Amino acid sequence: MTTTTHPSPQVRRGTPAPGTQHHGVLRIIGTTLTWAFASFNVLVLLFMLFSSFKTTKEIFRAPWAPPSSLHFENWSQAWSNGGFGSAAVNTILVVAASSVSVLVIAAPAAYALSRTQTRLAGGLTVFFTLGIGIPTQVTIIPIFVMMAKVNLVNNLFGLYVVYTAVSLPFTVFLLTGFFRSLPGRLEEAAAIDGAGVVRTFVQIMLPLARSGLVTALILNIIGLWHETLIALVFIQDQDKSTLSLSLLSFMSTITSFSDNPNWGALFAGVSILVLPMLALYVWLGRRIVEGITVGATK
Amino acid sequence: MIREAERATATTTAGVTDEGAVRSSGARSTLERDRRRLFLPFVLPALVLYLVFFIGPALAAVWISFTRWNGSTDAEWVGTRNYEVLVDDPVFHTAFVNTLLILVVVGVVVFVIAFGLTMVLREMRGRNAVRSILFTPYMVSAIVLSILWGFIFQYDGLVNSLLEAFGMEPVKWLSAGNLMPMILLGMVWINVGLYAMIILAAVDRIPNQYYEDAALAGTNSLQRFFYVTLPMTWDVVAVAATLWTINSLKIFEFIFAFGGTTTDLPSTDVWNSALFVYGMSFGGRTPAYAFGYASAAAVLMLILFAVFVILLRRIMRREPIEF
Repeated sequence: MTTTTHPSPQVRRGTPAPGTQHHGVLRIIGTTLTWAFASFNVLVLLFMLFSSFKTTKEIFRAPWAPPSSLHFENWSQAWSNGGFGSAAVNTILVVAASSVSVLVIAAPAAYALSRTQTRLAGGLTVFFTLGIGIPTQVTIIPIFVMMAKVNLVNNLFGLYVVYTAVSLPFTVFLLTGFFRSLPGRLEEAAAIDGAGVVRTFVQIMLPLARSGLVTALILNIIGLWHETLIALVFIQDQDKSTLSLSLLSFMSTITSFSDNPNWGALFAGVSILVLPMLALYVWLGRRIVEGITVGATK
Repeated sequence: MIREAERATATTTAGVTDEGAVRSSGARSTLERDRRRLFLPFVLPALVLYLVFFIGPALAAVWISFTRWNGSTDAEWVGTRNYEVLVDDPVFHTAFVNTLLILVVVGVVVFVIAFGLTMVLREMRGRNAVRSILFTPYMVSAIVLSILWGFIFQYDGLVNSLLEAFGMEPVKWLSAGNLMPMILLGMVWINVGLYAMIILAAVDRIPNQYYEDAALAGTNSLQRFFYVTLPMTWDVVAVAATLWTINSLKIFEFIFAFGGTTTDLPSTDVWNSALFVYGMSFGGRTPAYAFGYASAAAVLMLILFAVFVILLRRIMRREPIEF
């Protein structure tokens, strides 16, 4: 193996193939563009963070410069006046409850679907997957009318129910693939020891599937943290708003009603929405990327 | 058949005696029976929730699309009227064209850039750091990305401040005519990371010896791309293309926040399918609550995209390569 890997770089350098000159230039251009793209992402996030500590005047005068002094009042204004404080609590509660509930409902279903080789199980798996392709815009009107009938509109519990339901198809899809990849032998061993299906599932399979469950949990947290359309339709009261809604309404206050808009406070609000997820990414980055790509590449 | 084989390997590897094998097969059939008995209780909660919040509403939307309804009074059956009006509605035309522009233009550009990135990143220094950074837009709310994108291109925004620093004239990036191209460009920016990451994950699984063999044969990196990378990642590309099609129909936040707020909708020039549905039902200062009309648009777009996905899968299907 090592003997075959060694010669190739020499060959590549030693005998320049036709068009190599051309391709070297292309590579330099490509590398430069890639770095420019990556730098752009970093700069934009830095700009967001810097601006959250600046006065409006400073943001426009020197947009790229770090803040000359730290205006923490932007953050406190966003947190209390902009309603980001209560919105953060609402968002955390609803997102946490929904992303855990959907696991509790989806995991047994995914386990049963992946471990039963009947035509019904196969059909149901496909049936659940179809839901990934049904966009919210199609179902939101009937769901709204339905929820209004049971008085769960403009209600955080109602939002929690809808969030749990809309996360279901993707979660079942992800977990079915995950359970399928687990070896069946341990279950059989458990069955020999006299464990029933429920005990086998809870004590053997769930711990084995922990990394899949965590991946599903994280991906649902990310998705629901950013959800806007459903919240926009379902929530009207300021005290029930989620972070996305607070940002949108803060944006409209700042841009349309104020003569002296405090853009610094807006960027503080933006940061409140962004930083928790960026922290999650710094903490669990590889797992998030793998979780997203594994469904497509398997 | 397969189960028999499994059983055989299980017993041989476990090294159990004949007696053990008999016992285990007995336990296994109990397991099998228990499983069948518990299949329904395990699946039922998910199935009920799925039927109530996906299949039921989707079917209801089809029915609503044949009615005139504001949600509070009784629905009035109007047959295909909503669809007929839709076909002549210039606002829907714009939304329709914009949705297809996003699907095709943004899609093609995203995949071309994503492939370009895989070619560059394969042999680049600091590739892991760059990969992580390129993926960050996925972790940021589309509303935030939209606000930042708008701020960058404002008349007194970041790009123009750079242009002026280099002695150039500022550009009106966000004039009415430029709005949609700027939105499309912004969508390329926020989506490239995800699809590049999916394709890169597939590229990583290609055994390196194929590239070495190709290099020995004197190929350049463009040839290696067409003869190694592309064929060996084709299945993943097909899945990613399907994913993009589905996701592109769902796009809402980025456009909504680009000129709209909680109370005001952005100009109809930049509406796509999701904004049209929202604008015709719940959106704006005085919501239209035209549930029948909005549902007709939603159903029409879903059918169109479903057909597109089926065609896409058929066109991209080919014999799988084993490696």
